[in-house]
Amino acid sequence: MTEATVPAGTEYPFAPMPHTEAIEQYKRIAADRPMTRMTMPFGGDVWVIHRNQAARDMLGDPRFVREPFRTGERAVPYFVEFPDFLKATVQFADPPEHTKLRRLVQKAITPRSVNAMRDSAVAFANELIDAMVAKGPPANLVHDYAIALPIQMLSNLLGVPPEDREKFEKWSHSTLSVAGMTEDEIAANMMELAIYMSGLIAQRRAEPRDDLLSALAAARDKDDTLTDDEILTMAILLIVGGFDNTANFITIGILSLLRNDDQRELFLSDIDGLAATAAEEVLRHGRMQMGLPVAGGGGLVPFVATEDVEIDGRVIAAGEAVLVDPSAAGHDPQAVETPERMDITRQNNPHLTLSYGVHHCLGAPLARMELQVGLSEIFRRLPGLKSEGPAEIDMNNLTQPVTNLPVSW
Amino acid sequence: MTTTTVHYRTPTGEVHSIEGTVGDSVMVTAVRNGVTGIVGQCGGNLSCATCHVYLAEDELPRYPEMDEMEDEMLDCTAADREDNSRLSCQLDLRAGEELHVTIPDAQQ
Repeated sequence: MTEATVPAGTEYPFAPMPHTEAIEQYKRIAADRPMTRMTMPFGGDVWVIHRNQAARDMLGDPRFVREPFRTGERAVPYFVEFPDFLKATVQFADPPEHTKLRRLVQKAITPRSVNAMRDSAVAFANELIDAMVAKGPPANLVHDYAIALPIQMLSNLLGVPPEDREKFEKWSHSTLSVAGMTEDEIAANMMELAIYMSGLIAQRRAEPRDDLLSALAAARDKDDTLTDDEILTMAILLIVGGFDNTANFITIGILSLLRNDDQRELFLSDIDGLAATAAEEVLRHGRMQMGLPVAGGGGLVPFVATEDVEIDGRVIAAGEAVLVDPSAAGHDPQAVETPERMDITRQNNPHLTLSYGVHHCLGAPLARMELQVGLSEIFRRLPGLKSEGPAEIDMNNLTQPVTNLPVSW
Repeated sequence: MTTTTVHYRTPTGEVHSIEGTVGDSVMVTAVRNGVTGIVGQCGGNLSCATCHVYLAEDELPRYPEMDEMEDEMLDCTAADREDNSRLSCQLDLRAGEELHVTIPDAQQ
């Protein structure tokens, strides 16, 4: 069910259409109303916010919480059934519990600490490109490049020793939507990953090193304390969130540059100067530039209103669920000038792809660095990179990942 | 509605003078008025450090000493922390008190 009557051309959700038309539809919807009520494939009805400022007002308001999802009192309205293990993470906790958990990890993933990891990211990206070049074209950029970079960075961050990288990658890979494993295989790998990480946490507690697990284990002895289970859940969330999404945006970024000759030429003329703004533009608009039809409906993880709350003139009633559609918010002309245009020099880019408010992406500094490095190094080394066929996308997955991107150079 | 002026100096030296509402924060005033360079990713909940500013030295004493959470987050900023570093979500606009802040060259 959607709203009974909406003006023609502002229907929401909407079926796949060419991306230029989808953006026009988003613009008309945002001009007409701040939000639409829609029924999700799982978990029932949810308000979907389209306007950028209304989205910020909601995401920044503590009267919207996730407790009812965590306890199971209410199902999560979403495209797919939300996995239980994710509901046990900080993503579904509310302040003050959320504040304690999050701050401990946040101290390890700051712009400054991530900057210290940049050199090793650049070196590793170049190793991957060396291997691609040695093997010769064509390459599947998803497999050979976009997935490998984030797993290496996660291993460094968490402190997985080099000799364990191979098995860590195998287990973590099963959390990836592109892996295509059976449910039994995923469950077995997740279990092995959990056992391995628990062992590593115990080791780091006994003999701390300069890594995130050691920092989290040590934090136990101060005022803020974390149990081993909390550390494990946090590590798994970082693996699930930090691996798949980052890999996907590296792929989307490269593809969107391959499909926009003027923007690619511009990028090649000043890679270091434009990497930061290009990465933000990929986060905001990259999905529109994949050469595929775009559908409208749903978005970020929902919240529940604890009381009646008015947002941009609409009342979200106590107990109702609400979420933000970041594609709509990223193409709201009130917030983004000429939103239909891919512009890698855009300075004011208030996209909500990494969310906003207390639950904004915990790994944002790391994700940004990896995306910047991922885009920069491939085009620096292979400026003649080109597409060798359409990208393949798994539309039935939570994150709708690109699974194959054939390229040559 | 009472207003006062916040002067935002960008890393390149331009100054944007914005008439803001008393009670709003320096972060919200910037974001609402399209002043770039102040991100405020967490919405003013002291869980990011993307609204970092340098507050004019002579205006620092107007505010109480920062609390522990702000102090910790300021250790996480992208640009170097200085003695006059503050998170602009913690600086509220007050009647009759203009403010002068400098935006650092990086927030994230």
